[in-house]
Amino acid sequence: MIAVALFAFWQAADLPIGTLGGMGPGMLPKSLAVLFGLLGALLVVDAVLEAGPPLEGWSIRGPVLVTVAIVAFGLAVRPLGLVVAGPLAIVIAALASDEVRWVETIVVGLLMTVLCIGLFKFALGLPIPLAPWLLGY
Amino acid sequence: MFDFIGNLGLGFATALSPTNLVLCFIGCLVGTLIGVLPGIGPIATIAMLLPLTFKVDPTGALIMLAGIYYGAQYGGSTTAILVNIPGEATSVVTTLDGHAMARKGQAGIALGIAAIGSFFAGTVATLIIAAIGAPMAKLALLFGPAEYFGLMVLGLGLAIVLARGSVLKAVIMVVFGLLLATVGQDLETGQERLTLGFDALADGIDFAVLAMGVFGIAEILRNLENPEARNVVRGHIGRLLPSLADLRRSFGPIVRATGIGSVLGILPGNGAVLAPFASYTLEKKLAKDPSRFGKGAIEGVAGPEAANNAGAQTAFIPLLTLGIPPNAVMAMMVGAMTIHGVIPGPLVMTKAPSLFWGMIASMWIGNLMLLIINLPLIGLWVRLLKVPYRLLFIMILLFCCIGIYSINNNPSDVYFTAFFGLVGYVLIKLGLEPAPMLLGFVLGRLMEEKLRQALALSEGSFMTFVERPVSAVLLVLALAVMVIAVLPAVRKGREEAFQE
Repeated sequence: MIAVALFAFWQAADLPIGTLGGMGPGMLPKSLAVLFGLLGALLVVDAVLEAGPPLEGWSIRGPVLVTVAIVAFGLAVRPLGLVVAGPLAIVIAALASDEVRWVETIVVGLLMTVLCIGLFKFALGLPIPLAPWLLGY
Repeated sequence: MFDFIGNLGLGFATALSPTNLVLCFIGCLVGTLIGVLPGIGPIATIAMLLPLTFKVDPTGALIMLAGIYYGAQYGGSTTAILVNIPGEATSVVTTLDGHAMARKGQAGIALGIAAIGSFFAGTVATLIIAAIGAPMAKLALLFGPAEYFGLMVLGLGLAIVLARGSVLKAVIMVVFGLLLATVGQDLETGQERLTLGFDALADGIDFAVLAMGVFGIAEILRNLENPEARNVVRGHIGRLLPSLADLRRSFGPIVRATGIGSVLGILPGNGAVLAPFASYTLEKKLAKDPSRFGKGAIEGVAGPEAANNAGAQTAFIPLLTLGIPPNAVMAMMVGAMTIHGVIPGPLVMTKAPSLFWGMIASMWIGNLMLLIINLPLIGLWVRLLKVPYRLLFIMILLFCCIGIYSINNNPSDVYFTAFFGLVGYVLIKLGLEPAPMLLGFVLGRLMEEKLRQALALSEGSFMTFVERPVSAVLLVLALAVMVIAVLPAVRKGREEAFQE
């Protein structure tokens, strides 16, 4: 039953994609969307008819925190630079694990940031901002 | 024949230049380093390490990328043998006997024979690519849009058949991939489609972003969920070089597997993924005492590893000659090559012969390097594997972030990667395989282009696909493959095949 509900939800989420297609050049996206919708419906029917294996449990903490960590990196890297964005992402991401050890995490975060700066900025010369507020680049 | 030797000569001259040798070495080394990390397959590895190649000229970059690719493959096998965690679908088979050998204290021999088998397969596959690359590319020039379209449909059909799980789900994933490919500006009119008003989506979804999200981030999310259950082989690895008796026993499997892998690798639609399974099943059937398999039979490591490597390498053939990636890893290579201004296809060979042949020669050199550098470094990989995941994943995550940001220097790519990570997580949870989606995504743009060209040439008549013999045959094959997959009898056999 849970499976069916999930599939139905997933199916409904598809529908808006279908109506967004443009005109003219939208021919292909539109037909694909219709096909996709139909296949989704087929899958729901299939799920109703045949009891599949039960779904595994879903966890919230890991996905949310890892996503937040990546987004935080993206937000911070331009204005604040890698010096801030690196440890920030690492500390937030570390929270996603069940076994957080603060000292360890912070040490790793700093070490990794230094390593990445050395590797990407100086060895490879990629244009990643380091600390614009401090160094100007 | 003359051409063949001349071409290979040119290739080796290019690949053996000091800079390129160093690049090949670095590629193999870092490729293995990242590939060894549990749960990181070749796709995520290439996406993560792509920025490393930015400062290098296209030839060197491709050589380095090829090195990263083989390194990642080999690293995956190392993890499979030592920790029983397959980095990707193709090393699942290796875990069976490889890890059993490791538990018997023969980890070193398992790793050794995997390297030797891979090297042998790599050598043969390199020769095959050199031999049939040129004729294939000539053939490709005769292909019109209709034929290309037919070929890609066949590729997607095969991808559906070869995907694990239900056929319906695989079809859904391919269509989802095609749909994602239509995001961005329309090819002909430049009109924006399905961008939801985001400027960042105007150029379409970046392949590296999608791949990194679905294969890299989603994999991290999944691993975080399962409490740490890694049992890295403790104690000694044992000696690395197999004994003569071991070698004699492995020789047959390696040769047979190389044949299987080479043929399956060329097939469009991820044939390579089937190669290790096929080889394992074959060796089990041929063995005098099949019960040894699963308990540490050396043939069960040598065969699949050789098949895996042969397939991984001949998969370059459709990419380099036709410009059509046969699987998701090759699709990643397309993305990587395009960044360096090289568009894979029949013209690469004629326009940039030193690049083309240099890359092929470097494949062989890369395989040799892997053999040489990995055997002494195994101790290091073992130590790396003992680092707890709570530390590993944050490092992987930071590398992913920097890698994705560096590709376009664009923070929005980072956000989209996070988004696709969540999407990938949901897909895994729903039992949907992301690989067919990625293939659909990559072929999507090309297919739309060819479809439109073909229809423009035929003035809107779909008959063109049926009237041209080559495209008709390809489409019929695609249809046949799909029908066969749905037939109940074959379906059962297919399920059994994947059970093994």
